[in-house]
Amino acid sequence: MGHLTTETLGRLVSEVPTAEESRHLDSCFFCRSELEAVREQTQAMGSLPDLRPPAGDWEALEARLAGEGLIRSSGPSLPSPRWWPTPWMQAAAAVVLFLGGAVLGPRLTGTGSVGEFAEGSGPPGIQLIPVGTQAQPVSSIADAADAVRLAEQHYIMTLLQYRQLLDAQGEPGAIGDPASRFAALEAIVAAGRAAVQQAPADPFVNGVLVGALAEREALLRTATATPGIGIF
Amino acid sequence: MTEAQLIRQACEGNGPAVRTLYERYAPRVYAVVRRIAGDDDLAQDYSQEAWIRAIRALPTFRGDARFSTWLHRIAVNAALQALRKAETKDRRETSLPEAIAVRPNEGDALLEGLLERAMDQLPEGMRQVLILHDVEGYTHEEIGELLGVNPGTSKSQLFKARGKMRELLRPALAGGEDGQKGVEAWGI
Repeated sequence: MGHLTTETLGRLVSEVPTAEESRHLDSCFFCRSELEAVREQTQAMGSLPDLRPPAGDWEALEARLAGEGLIRSSGPSLPSPRWWPTPWMQAAAAVVLFLGGAVLGPRLTGTGSVGEFAEGSGPPGIQLIPVGTQAQPVSSIADAADAVRLAEQHYIMTLLQYRQLLDAQGEPGAIGDPASRFAALEAIVAAGRAAVQQAPADPFVNGVLVGALAEREALLRTATATPGIGIF
Repeated sequence: MTEAQLIRQACEGNGPAVRTLYERYAPRVYAVVRRIAGDDDLAQDYSQEAWIRAIRALPTFRGDARFSTWLHRIAVNAALQALRKAETKDRRETSLPEAIAVRPNEGDALLEGLLERAMDQLPEGMRQVLILHDVEGYTHEEIGELLGVNPGTSKSQLFKARGKMRELLRPALAGGEDGQKGVEAWGI
């Protein structure tokens, strides 16, 4: 039996495999990996955030509603009580603690590669972009959202640079043995999923999960393509 | 003020009450409409149409379902009906490079951006089923009613859409140089 088609994999996300498909999955690492990837993709689809309408949308709508006689007065929205969802805060705090340890630990103990390259002095061919920015005070929700967006772009850039640096170093030991790394990524993905369930719109939590999923995907692909690298 | 009070005031034409409902639910409405439309400009038209319909129909809202569910269904119907009327294929193809709309509280996370862009590239039928099932949680029976197809067709389209999404996402999610090129190619 050849590899399962992507359509079949799409079906197996929500339906039980046939006996033949099941046997194939048992013996084919590639198809198992692909099925897992489609499952994760499907799960991620269910966690997509809401989208803010473009600027000026309310004003245009208000004019249309007034034109149709559906509203007879205008003014700001009515005040509503604010509340902080405790599980969000708990999830965010847990991830912050985890990442804080992951970043600060190697620096304090001097064992990690983070920080080995000074700004602008990366390996040949890699342009390092300074990403450490000082948090600026914000005075509105829109400013805060922009600041978060900017910080997340920096985070993604940093993640990509980190991968480039690891690749450039060319030392397999730099990322540890694949099995341990895979197990660590699995743990982060599981924690990230739990956090996203609690805080589906939280950018930081989503960023952590996205980074972990991408890294795990990359590791699976490397393991599939490289003889001798076993992670199971 | 409770939601029931808010709805009652909105029924009476109270602008601030309507605006409060809008601010509370606009991101939800815009998200589903944007994904079904696959185009920013169309999405704004369709979401405004959805809101007009909803405010017009507000006196008929009896509270049997949650307001958010009722509004969501109106938004989905408005977008699907508008798409049926419009010749959208060419417009959508030319609008692909445009940015995904701004999220309410967060930035353009890598995977979210990839998913949104991949969805925009799906054929219309596949995209609608995928959004309604995997993003919005509709059953195949409900999708069948909304789209005028039988549940089996909805299932078949869903499996194809998931597979197509995997093919579209694979290069961008692959590690190493290929993955980096993929990410760059997607404009992330």
